[in-house]
Amino acid sequence: MERREILKRIYETRRKRLWEMWEVFKSNKAAYASLYIAGFMVFIASFGPLIAPYNPNDFDLSMARSPPSLQHPFGTDELGRDILSRILIGARYTIGISVASVALGALIGVIMGLVSGYLGGLWDSVIQRIVDVMLAFPTILLAIALVASLGQGVTSLIVAIAISTFPVYARLVRGVVLQIIGEDYIAAEKLLGKGSLYIMFKHVLPNAVSAIVVQATYYMGLSILLASALGFLGLGVPPPTPEWGAMIGSGRTYLFSSPHIVVFPGFFILVSALSFNLLGDGLRDALDPKSRAMLRRG
Amino acid sequence: MSLARFVGVRIAQAVPTLFGATLVMFILIRVLPGDPARLIAGPEALEEDVRRVREQLGLDKPIYVQFGDYMLSILRGDLGVSIKYRTPVINEILARLPYTIALALAAEAIAIAVAIPLGIISALKPRSRLSYAVSVISLVGASTPIFWIGLIFIYIFAVSLRVLPSSGAETPRHIILPAVTLALLLVGNLTRITRASVMDTLGSNHVLTAISKGLAQRIILRRHVLRNAMIPIVTIMGIQMGALLGGAVITETVFAWPGIGSLLVDSLFYRDYPLAQGIILFIVLVFIVINIVIDVLYAYIDPRVRETLWRGGRS
Repeated sequence: MERREILKRIYETRRKRLWEMWEVFKSNKAAYASLYIAGFMVFIASFGPLIAPYNPNDFDLSMARSPPSLQHPFGTDELGRDILSRILIGARYTIGISVASVALGALIGVIMGLVSGYLGGLWDSVIQRIVDVMLAFPTILLAIALVASLGQGVTSLIVAIAISTFPVYARLVRGVVLQIIGEDYIAAEKLLGKGSLYIMFKHVLPNAVSAIVVQATYYMGLSILLASALGFLGLGVPPPTPEWGAMIGSGRTYLFSSPHIVVFPGFFILVSALSFNLLGDGLRDALDPKSRAMLRRG
Repeated sequence: MSLARFVGVRIAQAVPTLFGATLVMFILIRVLPGDPARLIAGPEALEEDVRRVREQLGLDKPIYVQFGDYMLSILRGDLGVSIKYRTPVINEILARLPYTIALALAAEAIAIAVAIPLGIISALKPRSRLSYAVSVISLVGASTPIFWIGLIFIYIFAVSLRVLPSSGAETPRHIILPAVTLALLLVGNLTRITRASVMDTLGSNHVLTAISKGLAQRIILRRHVLRNAMIPIVTIMGIQMGALLGGAVITETVFAWPGIGSLLVDSLFYRDYPLAQGIILFIVLVFIVINIVIDVLYAYIDPRVRETLWRGGRS
């Protein structure tokens, strides 16, 4: 067979596989719907300021704590700020921090997993002990400790959540490396003089990518909960940033008379976390039905 | 391997982790912006006083000596002195600990009482509406911010219905709302694992044998299914201890429950770092110890597990 013919077949098979995955994914109605909901959350995180009806920090004490109305669909908070606008703009903090921390955590974890599995020996022992120690901390506690020592702010929040969540990726990728490192085709590549980096990118990562994607999706849900919990505790981004958890934290004082200040931001946290968890389930079934046991929802 | 030896090995395996966790906490305090000596001496202290405090704390020694001292004092059970209360950190922790234990036990009890029956029923009838509802609830439970649901509970039960107190710990009734809130964090996962585990056991050979022997369904369920299904359930309860302890920090803050979780959050606001790191370290130690206990517990239940554990390393 001609080379071009072979390549064509390979591409066809790949396209067919992707199509099959898409079909499996679509057959899970909840996951399919959550793709749109998660997409919507990312959309408001990106374009929130363009669609928000009011400036999120414009306060008007005469309008303070007014219940939902036509003018303010979600009501106003303790300073008379429009809650809908604050939620729309706060999305870039809650969702944005989660996206960034998941990306950073996955990057650190994947690199550590690759090094650990591929180099083995001392590297492996050291990295695995680090992972053990990290896993010995309950996730939220580690995040609290890190945020407390890094100081308030978006960057330290991202770093804290990333560090608290990377160990699972490291475990996962190390597992994949160890699994395929003994395969004949890897030995063949080595005999052909291919370098470690080439083998990692060409063979190891493609084998791990679906598990990583599924884990990262679950961790989006977890990171949203972590970021907003830290915001609620007053350890996240400083006021008056309309981060969803921080909105609940500052609004809880008025819970007895004006529950709407707390209800709406929490609803958005719940729906976003839920949509990413459902998306994770759908992706897992479509991409990676075998590795169910290895993946954690958080 | 004898059970005693297994316990020994398991404890030995935990030592590096404990050491590492302590090192992490030590590094985190060193990364902290600000000078702990100045913090303790107070903002108006003279340079002289700050230096004296620094010497008292041993902060003028080389960093590895400091770490050595720190490890030694931890081994003696000395976690330092709280800046805010001016008492040993360990005393503050022990004074608040009973509240956290009570909350954790109550939450775990509620979670077990709800999750295990639900998990078993939905495993026995996997295509029923109840089974479907269980999956939905377990997913929503895993996605709900507990600080938010706690506040919603306060609004419903304390503000609107006025049937339960909203915060504090004066009477036994005060534990109901925080315990239910914390239990929500556990119920979803516990139900899912119970269902999966019971379904697994239902398909195994010894259960098929029991069925073909014509044993009554209830006896099969109790003697053959549940007993074997308990192993993964106990494991997940161990893993959930982390979520439970972490969740307690948030739940206690929401309900002003005077346990070590709310003490931790308070200490962070007072910049009482010796207290904060003492609490975190304490919780990590408890978490590690509980995991050892659980490993040992089911090595005791099932000798096969002992072998796998030994080969597989940590849980």
